[in-house]
Amino acid sequence: MTMKTRKSIFIASCLLPGLFLFLLFKVYPTLQIFQKSLYLWTGLSDKPKFIGLQNYTDMFHDDTFLLSLKNTGLLMLVVPIVTLLIALVNASILTKSKLKERNIYRTVFFFPSILSFVVIAILWSFIYHPTMGFLNSGLEAVGLDKWALPWLGDQRVVLWALAVTLIWQAAGYYMVIYMAGIDGISPELYEAAELDGATRIKQFIHITIPMLWEIIRVTIIFSINGVLSISFVIVSVMTAGGPDHHSEVVMTYLYSQAFTNSNFGYAMAIGVFIFVISMILALLSNKLTERGTD
Amino acid sequence: MSKKKWITLAMAAVFLTLPLAGCGSNNTSNNAAPSATAAAEASAEGSASASPGAAAETFGNPELNIAVFQGGYGRDYWDSVAAEFMKEYPGTKINITASPKIAELVRPKIVAGNPPDFMYISGSDNTPILDGLVKDKALLDLTDVFDSNTEAGTPLKLQILPGVLTSSSIAPYGDGKIYLAPYNFGVMGLWYNKNLFDSKGIATPKTWDELFADNAVAKENDRALFTYQGLYPGYLEEMIVPAIASAGGQEALDQFFNYDPEFWKSETYTKVWGLLEKIATEDNALMKGTVALNHTQSQTSFLQGKSMFIPNGTWFEDEMKDAPREDGFQFGFLGVPSLGADGKVMALTQVEQMVIPAKAKNPELAKAFLKYLYSEKSIKLNAEKAKGVMAVNGAPDLVKEYISETTYNIYKAVDSGMVAVSGSFKPVAKGSKFNASDEVYKPISSIMSKQLTLDEYSAKLYKVYTQIQKELQEQGQQ
Repeated sequence: MTMKTRKSIFIASCLLPGLFLFLLFKVYPTLQIFQKSLYLWTGLSDKPKFIGLQNYTDMFHDDTFLLSLKNTGLLMLVVPIVTLLIALVNASILTKSKLKERNIYRTVFFFPSILSFVVIAILWSFIYHPTMGFLNSGLEAVGLDKWALPWLGDQRVVLWALAVTLIWQAAGYYMVIYMAGIDGISPELYEAAELDGATRIKQFIHITIPMLWEIIRVTIIFSINGVLSISFVIVSVMTAGGPDHHSEVVMTYLYSQAFTNSNFGYAMAIGVFIFVISMILALLSNKLTERGTD
Repeated sequence: MSKKKWITLAMAAVFLTLPLAGCGSNNTSNNAAPSATAAAEASAEGSASASPGAAAETFGNPELNIAVFQGGYGRDYWDSVAAEFMKEYPGTKINITASPKIAELVRPKIVAGNPPDFMYISGSDNTPILDGLVKDKALLDLTDVFDSNTEAGTPLKLQILPGVLTSSSIAPYGDGKIYLAPYNFGVMGLWYNKNLFDSKGIATPKTWDELFADNAVAKENDRALFTYQGLYPGYLEEMIVPAIASAGGQEALDQFFNYDPEFWKSETYTKVWGLLEKIATEDNALMKGTVALNHTQSQTSFLQGKSMFIPNGTWFEDEMKDAPREDGFQFGFLGVPSLGADGKVMALTQVEQMVIPAKAKNPELAKAFLKYLYSEKSIKLNAEKAKGVMAVNGAPDLVKEYISETTYNIYKAVDSGMVAVSGSFKPVAKGSKFNASDEVYKPISSIMSKQLTLDEYSAKLYKVYTQIQKELQEQGQQ
């Protein structure tokens, strides 16, 4: 046996178990989702009925689904943009200024990322508590009684209230990623810019952002996908989709169709739809941000 | 790699696998069959003491797998009733799986075509699985169990509370056949602070007019008139359903539960939802911030004296036993006031359900076990271990010594005088996107925050009911 074949056998034997597990636990279930989305199935019986693409056409006549899609879309648009902006600005301030407390801030801002999502949701439902909550008590204390709304019970503001929670949860995490990135930028660039008389803001725009661009591109995709999955926990705990579905997101709707309405096939169709949408979004954001690297 | 690193890695691996190990262990416990000699002894004793019919019966397959919800009632009852059953039917063996998330545990078994022989499913996380089984027609017809005679020589069905066996939560297909067996029953309605009413000499309201008149009293006592479990408007069913019965009788209830769209144009609708609008608009009627509170938060506010009334069920006292409350607070159950002048107070009753899947491996033994649950011994055991009251005649008195006074009084009130109302939505067509209870109750949040008018609401529900009806007809034709 040559050295080469022995080497490839070794590599194959290292890869095969992992590949097998990957196929079994990732690829097979995913294919199942595609297949089951074509059936009328309660998720319990062993006799699903084939109905072709009807689950998909039904989706667009389902007002609640469309509302939840709109809500998710809004969150996916607002939350990543605001989160990443805040993270970027904070990271830049903390690395470039000579703050003595920068390590404390770094820890404090990162804190939400190590808390469980459920804990965060409970914490924020008490912050938004209509009578004894931190937010409304604060507003009343400074004489802004009129602004004190029942945040999670008012269909006009509930989504924004949830968006704030999502941003608070994620901003620290991306900040730490950006800080690591900024630390990797050569200090000479900043020194040169400073000698040329560039202000801090100009340095931020012309050095920090372009040098971090590749990292930013990745975090945009992370953040969009994060909104999809984290919104499920936050909404389930904080509002249960209420009032009247105005904070329903596609993931909570998928769950309720699958497990409370016993519409597994339909829920799978929603799942496939979300899968396609997030793929498109990821590709789109990748394409749109590509110019920056040239 | 240094030695230290290896140790760290090994430790990390151990910690990572720990939670996995936790997932693996389940709640199954084997109540091992009595050993051969013990069984022989038991049968010898059995022929002397146990009922003659029971001892003579033998089962081809002596093993029974049951899955039960482990919630507020615990699992002690199931452990002890299974032990009693095994004593009376020697040679049988019952395996119990109990969990608060029982639906998650049994779902894969059902999908694999290997369901437990008997299931008690309860709790809002779990009951949807029953709806699924009903839609799939995957439950065993239990009518013969309730037609068969008890030891007293009368059919078992006469022992069950009147009206229960004909409701759609028990006989879901409207053909009178029983597919879900009733277990504990609960009573729901409005609650108040008994101490406040007694010490201030306030009379409990018998009609809705009297209740709204109490708003002035509420204001004097520095509280709102009403609150409810804001984020979960489904709790309002506990006053809406009795109010529908009060305004339009059984006919209106049938319209409401069986999806007659005309209900949303009827006078009953105007009257009942008028109450909600009044609560939403009248000054001091709805506690501030109610729409944004979850069930624990709103119930705590009620206990702390922020509101005079709140809807809830018999489990209220137990559920909130650790919550802070105002001085001298005492639970008082009002029921639901009448809409007419007759002052007939009503209450909503609901039964928990037990089922035998159609694909159960051992339906004969499961049926025998089910029947055994309605024996006097079991009813008492249920009260002692689970503090539950089964939906059988005279149960409250049978179990008086085991339940709290408040609870006993509620059951007694329903037994004598208070009008018990029950009902549940007919199952919607298989594959329907609608969940009737969500469609009806969820928009009430928006009515309460004055962002949805009653006309818009009824127009929407008229459409929803028409659609559900259409889907049911299409299904019927197939």
